[in-house]
Amino acid sequence: MRARDAIDVLARHRGEAVGVCALGMAANEWWAATKSEDSFYMHGAMGFAASFALGLALSLPHVPVWLINADGSLCMNLGCLLTEASQGAKNLKHFVVANGVYQTVGALTMVNDGRTDYVGVARAAGISRARSIESLDELERLLPGIAAEDGPSFTVLRVEPESGFLRTPPMTYEGPEMKYRFGRALERRFSIEVFGPQGY
Amino acid sequence: MSGSSEGFRSDSSDVTARIHAQLTKAGIRLAASLPDDWIAPLIERIAADNQIRHVRVAREAEAIAICSGAFFGGVRAIALMGATGLLTCTGELATLNLRHQIPVFLMVSQRGSIDDHRIYQEVQGRRTIPLLETYDFPYHIIDRAEDIPQIPDAFEACRLQKRPFVLFLTRRLVKGDGASA
Repeated sequence: MRARDAIDVLARHRGEAVGVCALGMAANEWWAATKSEDSFYMHGAMGFAASFALGLALSLPHVPVWLINADGSLCMNLGCLLTEASQGAKNLKHFVVANGVYQTVGALTMVNDGRTDYVGVARAAGISRARSIESLDELERLLPGIAAEDGPSFTVLRVEPESGFLRTPPMTYEGPEMKYRFGRALERRFSIEVFGPQGY
Repeated sequence: MSGSSEGFRSDSSDVTARIHAQLTKAGIRLAASLPDDWIAPLIERIAADNQIRHVRVAREAEAIAICSGAFFGGVRAIALMGATGLLTCTGELATLNLRHQIPVFLMVSQRGSIDDHRIYQEVQGRRTIPLLETYDFPYHIIDRAEDIPQIPDAFEACRLQKRPFVLFLTRRLVKGDGASA
């Protein structure tokens, strides 16, 4: 399946979930599919969107948090799976868009060249609800159950490698504006205080 | 020797309790940590506090990103680590926290000081503060027990400056004057 099609399916099933996107192609596809300001798009710290999502999930335990990770980012911080498992956040769903390449730099081959069993790694770390999905039909069939089950869960979406830098344009705002749009969106949705009375 | 050792343990325990009390006063509800031996007693004390969600991480940059996510959940958070760990996550501090102006409060044992005679901490002692200054990350040093009440102000300064803020704890503070290692 293609990444864009897989992300479209995720977007249709996201319900009330807040999104956290790792830097890269999957974030651009999530923005294209959702145009959502109640999603955070990492502009750096590759590998640590998973940790960001965990901190958010622990802080808002009644809010579903969907992490849109990528295989390149996951490999930069496999230890995140140990931390995720240890915290047992029921509201956290970890999706990994896995195309086996570093797409945004020209689809260069990834570390270990397709031999890594990410589901096996996640299970060995202690995340028992882990699976790999190979087709859109399978994703359509399984996603409602994944959305409804307790987390933490780990779902690899096997997608085709594609080439083309910025094939899908990124979100139209960045840096501090992203912080404020995301924070204000969460304040409105959940009646929380992210920023203080003076705006910082 | 045993008498002075007992006295040192008592002082250290008191300092740990006072730091913990000030973190509570600052409204901290989440702590992410990777231990350095100087701050290990503080970490374990926080871990025993059921009002603070404690997250043990595998790498210090995880703590940075967890605290950053917690910020958007409206939860006041702290990352605890040693100076070596701080050096490992400067890239994430720059590309996540500086990039998006997300405040993150770090409490760090100031390893490599002139009274830290561990050879493997020597570089950290010489280069950590110059590195923070290069990144324009503000920092403050708590060296004496009477300065511990500055912690809530330091946390507020972090939020106000919208970037990583490092609060160093010195060896004299957390280990006492008489300790040798």
